[in-house]
Amino acid sequence: MRNRLRELRAARRWSQADLAARCQVSRQAINAIETERYDPSLPLAFTIADVFDQTIEEIFLPDRTDTTNEQDPA
Amino acid sequence: MTNQAQPDQVTRAARRAILIDGLPVITLGGVALALGSSPDQSTTQKALWIAATAVFALAVAWVLLRAFRRADEYLRKIQLESMAVAFAAVLVGLQVATVLDSAGVVPLHQLTQLIVIGGLAIWLVTADLRTRFHR
Repeated sequence: MRNRLRELRAARRWSQADLAARCQVSRQAINAIETERYDPSLPLAFTIADVFDQTIEEIFLPDRTDTTNEQDPA
Repeated sequence: MTNQAQPDQVTRAARRAILIDGLPVITLGGVALALGSSPDQSTTQKALWIAATAVFALAVAWVLLRAFRRADEYLRKIQLESMAVAFAAVLVGLQVATVLDSAGVVPLHQLTQLIVIGGLAIWLVTADLRTRFHR
């Protein structure tokens, strides 16, 4: 899942280790999330959102390729 | 900019905890090995050796469980997937060993330790490579 983690981290001049310490996870986890190799669980996503003082939707950008729930406006 | 390759606080704490947990277990392993090293053992000595080995095995499981619970969700996922790969390899190895034993090529008891050790090695190497490769 695309995310703005690297951009938000760079704006605060935090290293991955700094962000990992604030989120109580390993640096490998932060690296995996930033490189889109791993999607965080809901509790971790909320923790990251709290750390950056933003909502989850402002940080994580889902790939909206699934159109099964789209309703026909007509 | 801090060096990204240096272990972070959580990883350092986890490694320290594994060392603190693991040292007594390694000592216990040495004791079990020493107890089983003498060729002529009395019944009491054999019983002590079996007990020490069983306690060592349980202690290893305890250390692994504590390390697992201490890991974050990403490292836990990596460990679980690595264990799954190792488990599959052990299953295949055991199946091959059973066939070889049935054919009278190699006795099964000579291969089981190798298969278990090989499975452990696959687990640890897979987990290490997956965390080491993506720093």
